[in-house]
Amino acid sequence: MTLDLVIAIIITLVGASTPILLAALGELVVEKSGVLNLGVEGMMLIGAVITVAVVLVTGNHWLAIACAALAAAAAALIFGFLTLSLSANQVATGLALTILGTGFSALFGQPYTGKAVPLLRSPFPPELAADPVWRVIFGYSPLVYFSLIMVFVIWWFLKKTRAGLILRAVGENDLSAHSIGYPVIGVRYLAVAFGGAMAGIAGSCFPLILTPQWVERLTTGRGWIALALVVFAAWRPFRLLGGAYLFGLVMTLEVYAKAAGGGFRVLPSELWAALPYLATILVLVLISMRRGGSSSAPACLGKPFLPTS
Amino acid sequence: MLYATPVAAVLITMVLGALIFTLLGYDGLGAVREIFFTPLTNPYKWQDLAVKASPLVIIAVGLAVSYRANVWNIGAEGQYIVGAVAGTGVALLTYDMTGPWILPLMLLAGIAGGAAYAAIPAFLRTQFKVNEILTTLMLTYVSVQLLNYLVFGPWKSPTSMGQPQTVLFSADQSLPYVIPGTIVQLGTPIAILVAILVWFVMSRSVFGFQVRVVGASPAAARYGGFSANRTVWLALLVSGGLAGLAGILEAAGPFGRLVPQFPTNYGFTAIIVAFLGRLNPLGALLAGIILAITFVGGEVAQTTIALPFAAVGIFQAMMLFLLLAGDVLVRYRIRRVANEPARASA
Repeated sequence: MTLDLVIAIIITLVGASTPILLAALGELVVEKSGVLNLGVEGMMLIGAVITVAVVLVTGNHWLAIACAALAAAAAALIFGFLTLSLSANQVATGLALTILGTGFSALFGQPYTGKAVPLLRSPFPPELAADPVWRVIFGYSPLVYFSLIMVFVIWWFLKKTRAGLILRAVGENDLSAHSIGYPVIGVRYLAVAFGGAMAGIAGSCFPLILTPQWVERLTTGRGWIALALVVFAAWRPFRLLGGAYLFGLVMTLEVYAKAAGGGFRVLPSELWAALPYLATILVLVLISMRRGGSSSAPACLGKPFLPTS
Repeated sequence: MLYATPVAAVLITMVLGALIFTLLGYDGLGAVREIFFTPLTNPYKWQDLAVKASPLVIIAVGLAVSYRANVWNIGAEGQYIVGAVAGTGVALLTYDMTGPWILPLMLLAGIAGGAAYAAIPAFLRTQFKVNEILTTLMLTYVSVQLLNYLVFGPWKSPTSMGQPQTVLFSADQSLPYVIPGTIVQLGTPIAILVAILVWFVMSRSVFGFQVRVVGASPAAARYGGFSANRTVWLALLVSGGLAGLAGILEAAGPFGRLVPQFPTNYGFTAIIVAFLGRLNPLGALLAGIILAITFVGGEVAQTTIALPFAAVGIFQAMMLFLLLAGDVLVRYRIRRVANEPARASA
């Protein structure tokens, strides 16, 4: 294996990992507050289509990413209103959000289908990334660096700040948090909106880093992988980073296994593709065995908050 | 009130949908007419409704049982695929044989395949307390890869000229047509039978009572001596088995073989059907027909008024959102509490 191939694989895998990392970071915060939003895929599609539309109309990448974040957060708030204010079932509402996002993006994206979107390139001067080895450090889109910063920010927020502690309290025991005066529903609304914004930015990655155009269902199920990743990482930001790059590596190897043959051909490419999901199930079992039967999932995950019942 | 919300949800969806699509620059009223009414008023479309509704109803009936038990199987799509794979396995083994026993054997294999695939999350949940929402979803992706592996690899038909597909099932391996001159196959009467049968079991038997009690109040169920683990197993085996049955009925029916395009999201759409049907098997029958109407109507609207098919997804999502929002009116009563001093909640 040559150095060039290794570098090519690293750059592909970082690109492939970034959207799932961003979306999973958002979902991690949502789940830490005790809410399970299965609408990640739908919110990512909304973010992706809005990004394409705004870039094609205004040519401004940053405006496009901001609009994507806002649009996906707005969609997340529909979910929030139903599940938090009306205590609707979170599984069903999240699925409805995904169906809505798929439908909306397909409809809204029609006029933009197939038109070339200019990529969002590395913020560093091109001389720095000219050498293939330096390209591994300086050759990425700003969204990649943003995702890495957000891993640290979210870890710091959850572990080191008072607001993060309140958010975790709300997710672990909503009744106790309520009884000492924290606004459970308000905290969850903020978390859901944040998760939506992150999923929207994750959606931006598809046209701006990976495939520079709009096609229907552009995100090809990556939102669901992000959901799996949160569980795989046992709700910890730095494990999420490792997990996202591991998932990205497997996805990249799958592509190379199909294309290259040779050493990769030992296992069928479908098995490579199934590995992240099988690994996630294995991790779930291991976590629950080590903790003596209790999982590390937030205790209130997926349950509506009903203070008077 | 309980049964009024789905009706209200559908009606409000029509009104809001007409408004939204008019604002988007489409023929909003036409969209509602073509999507919701043409499939009903045009008798040629009824057979399409039966074909679309049958798998949705069969899967949704199983999901209704599972959700009643508070077991969140959202991987029906995977169990549907594995059911089809298991049934197709029987079809490929019996390819050179004839006889009326082959098709029933395929259907049984389909049920067994789906149930076995749902047994994995059941085992993990009861043994290791692993959340079934996550495992059923993960296994859905694995099943798609299994299907791809088989149709691109060992099961690829030698006469398909490189196309990834299995051989076409023989006459003894395919569903018979039940109404001459139409495309309605045996899957449709089976769907109706399944809905009625499961409704009877759920509402009239101790098993149904047990499922409902365990789902509604685990503490009361424990007190009553109902095993929560047993209910988890039953809920997943029933919903997985029915999804598997729907899978093999689809493979031996409209598809006639396995292809990579086999997964058509029936397993996910059936979740909407189960909710729209109020987690009641007979409700699922009606809700399955309503969802089938929107699919068939969406295809009509695509050709007649050039409405993109994606609009169907928006209508379906809106319907589910409104239904879930309406539930709050069923479960709670609105009270005026203005000017009332705050009281400690019990």
